Amino acid sequence: MGEALQQQLAYVGYGLYLLLIIAGGLAAVMSTSLVRALMGLILTLFGVAGMFLLMNAPFLAFMQILIYVGAVSVLIFFAIMLTKTPEGEAGAENMLEWIGMRAGLAVLAALTPAIIMATLIVKKAPAALALKPEVTLAQLGEFLTGPFVLAFELISVVLLAAMAGAVVLGFERRKGK
Amino acid sequence: MIIELLATPLGHTVAALVAILAFLGLNGLVMVYMERKVCGFIQLRPGPFEVGPRGLLQPVADALKLVGKQLVTPLGADALLFWLAPFISFAPVAICFLPIPFGPIATGMEMNLGLLLILAFSGLNALSLVLAGWGSNNKYGLLGAARAVAQSVAYEVPLLLSVLAIAFQAGSLNLSTIVEGQKGILSWNLFVQPLAFVIYFISATAETNRAPFDLPEAESELTAGFHTEYSGMGFGIFFLAEYSYMIVVCAVATALFLGGYDGPFAPGIWWFLAKVFFLVLILMFFRWTFPRVRFDQLLNICWKWLIPLGLANLVATALVMKLVK
Repeated sequence: MGEALQQQLAYVGYGLYLLLIIAGGLAAVMSTSLVRALMGLILTLFGVAGMFLLMNAPFLAFMQILIYVGAVSVLIFFAIMLTKTPEGEAGAENMLEWIGMRAGLAVLAALTPAIIMATLIVKKAPAALALKPEVTLAQLGEFLTGPFVLAFELISVVLLAAMAGAVVLGFERRKGK
Repeated sequence: MIIELLATPLGHTVAALVAILAFLGLNGLVMVYMERKVCGFIQLRPGPFEVGPRGLLQPVADALKLVGKQLVTPLGADALLFWLAPFISFAPVAICFLPIPFGPIATGMEMNLGLLLILAFSGLNALSLVLAGWGSNNKYGLLGAARAVAQSVAYEVPLLLSVLAIAFQAGSLNLSTIVEGQKGILSWNLFVQPLAFVIYFISATAETNRAPFDLPEAESELTAGFHTEYSGMGFGIFFLAEYSYMIVVCAVATALFLGGYDGPFAPGIWWFLAKVFFLVLILMFFRWTFPRVRFDQLLNICWKWLIPLGLANLVATALVMKLVK
């Protein structure tokens, strides 16, 4: 395949993944059903996995799908199934105040990332980055257990604490019965 | 021109996908016939024998019947999620076949992380089951979905542990490299890592929701579990996906443990397929021999036996690899 064609396909892929991410985000925010919102989240996660692939990081992309789509979102689904939530939103008492507040929050939510991005772009103009060579799994492992070993171990301690906490909570719940 | 196109990576992948889909369609027919005959012989009844010679055309008749049936969306169901589920269950299967080395050159897409790709995309199956159960607005469906979550999340752990032991040993996640490392029957990982094989095969049975671990479906207690409400090809696609996942897990087992396309004479794609279908036959024997386990038994097998054994096996593999090096 020619360089030019590859470049064009990369642009098409970028646009597609961007579309997936944005559409998923919108679906997650705008749908009233929790499960549909979760589907939106999953769509976004897929888009992000695609971005990882474009950046020549297939390991991260597959891990994203394996862990976030395959395990985390399924567990979120489980949580949704356990909590039978009513659909729709609670009614607001003062309609005008409610709309005003929501509009203000929406503007804030839209502006904040824009401001941050704009500052970043102005401070540091983006240069077209050449595609980095694929980091092999062995290199990745050496990095994690070499220079980043402290962070790696700290994360595992956090996970262990979370697991132990879950077990403790589970046992207390059972005693109460 | 066509030959040139096929030689490019993109053309090769597209051709492989087309071949895989054709194979999966045919495979569905063959396996339905196989399953019914195996079940017939085990339970002392003939199985299909009326349609065609020895009942060979029965699956075709079944398929035509499924295609002809009306598709019904139950009242009060979330139609979008309800019809999304069968597609999520089938679409990832084709991708799972891409990195599998069927023969010395018959690999859809050579990639370094092939094993990881298969594991990542086969995990989507659980998602489709819960979607189906939730979307159909049916209490049996919901119960099946709840079971599917607990089961698939639990059994993914020992599955990954056993696969990881083999990846440690081969030093690669590329299935072709792992197969290359097993030349001659005695160097097959089945004999080097028997414990990993046992763990893998039990977890794979559970991951594909086959009896004795078919709790999300459990027709005698949950009607049909997650696919209670699906009619016609809605059910047909779930069925096809289940059979395709059986092929995926058996093909991965063949590549990881049984030396892939290696054989005593004339190694090639036929050896690979023979081993895959042999493992599929064992899965079918399991289904018609063992009664369904209870749910607490299912989770106990996983958390109290398979995961500790898998961890021990992994640590032992790492130690031996360190000592040998």
